[in-house]
Amino acid sequence: MNTDISQTITRIAEIIINELKLEDVTPETFDADLDLVDEVGVDSMDLATIALVLRDEYGIRIDEDDYPKLTTIRIIAEYIDNKLTSDD
Amino acid sequence: MYQGIENREYKFSEIIADPAIGACWEKVRKYFFLRESTYDMSNRCNIRCEGCYYFNGEKQFAKENLNVADWKQLMEAEKERGITFVVLAGAEPSLVPQLCQTCYDVIPLGCIASNGLNVLAKEIDYRIHISVWGNDQTSFEIRKAKDMLARQMANYQDDPRAVWVYTFTPVNIDQAREVTELLAANGHQITFNMFSSPVGYSGHLRHTPETLAHTRATMSELLHEFPQTVLFSPYNIVAHTHTQGLHDLFSCSYPRMNPSTDIGLGRSFRQYRTDLQWDRAAACCVPDTDCDDCRHYAAGSAVVTARMYRHATNPVTFSAWLDYVDTYLAVWVRGYEKSATLCQEMIEPPSIVES
Repeated sequence: MNTDISQTITRIAEIIINELKLEDVTPETFDADLDLVDEVGVDSMDLATIALVLRDEYGIRIDEDDYPKLTTIRIIAEYIDNKLTSDD
Repeated sequence: MYQGIENREYKFSEIIADPAIGACWEKVRKYFFLRESTYDMSNRCNIRCEGCYYFNGEKQFAKENLNVADWKQLMEAEKERGITFVVLAGAEPSLVPQLCQTCYDVIPLGCIASNGLNVLAKEIDYRIHISVWGNDQTSFEIRKAKDMLARQMANYQDDPRAVWVYTFTPVNIDQAREVTELLAANGHQITFNMFSSPVGYSGHLRHTPETLAHTRATMSELLHEFPQTVLFSPYNIVAHTHTQGLHDLFSCSYPRMNPSTDIGLGRSFRQYRTDLQWDRAAACCVPDTDCDDCRHYAAGSAVVTARMYRHATNPVTFSAWLDYVDTYLAVWVRGYEKSATLCQEMIEPPSIVES
């Protein structure tokens, strides 16, 4: 796995755990392929909140039409990576 | 820009670091779990109002299902798929109180849209939205019912479930003061709705730019003069009296206008007819409303609320959004107390944030 992506995944997991006050999971044990909507119970307003925190963290804008598609930590990490790469 | 606000994009963490904004944010986000769907309870009504959304389109011809067991099964299935808030509407839910009770017993958060002429039992502890379309003379002309406001107030005196919903039409704008004064004198609360034309409607109740401006001014005066009575905010006024409708301003997210089944209303919202069937192509909170003319209060409650991301650009815009959400919760959720208004300015809605 790409080291940068791996770090991004861990950081996103940390953000989601903090924002949703999830218990019994750590950034290291959070399955990056878990469906946040169907398997974690994240709703659309939670996702919008996470998108705002990610905007702060990575300095990227997330299109409103995109964040409903960001349904796993891995997809979010790849989305961020693409955004950062295209901004270079 | 406004006093103390810099002309730049703020970090979200900076915005919510403001104590008042942060407190309201923490207050409203506790309700992000609300997931609504709406249900036509009966195809009957005890009055007939000009421009009524229910008696337009196909849904009025759906066969009534009065079977309590069927409704219980539906509610349990709704709960199972994650619905946490029900809106019981068309045509007149108070005509089928046993079904309202059944819904309440399974999903205890919700709201009933009623004309207020029948009293619903206190055991059905939903918010009750009582529709008012002007003073009693106008109500008689448009709704063919005598002494409506007096009867509604008598039915729901000292009832914390009740909030009156004044629907502004071009012909009743100046009567809103009289109605608000009466409700205030009797300790009731009121919120505002906008007449939104049904598809194909070209009658005299359709708003024009002039009547929208007149309504905006009237709402502002009443909100300023009756802050304890009027559940609204300056941003509610902007959103609902803008010359552009809600869809143009905020991109309506109900399935009828939103083909996406990604997370959000497009995925979870359903509008059940009285035969307990639903149709994705017709699914929104006010089916058969002309989407271009939709400024309906129920639509705004979901459509504006869903657009948090684009409002989180600076403290003023986010405050306005928080005021809107805080108002929505006070109007729709039993026991939720409205906070002090954060943004007194009438700011323009933000455009879609470009990626």
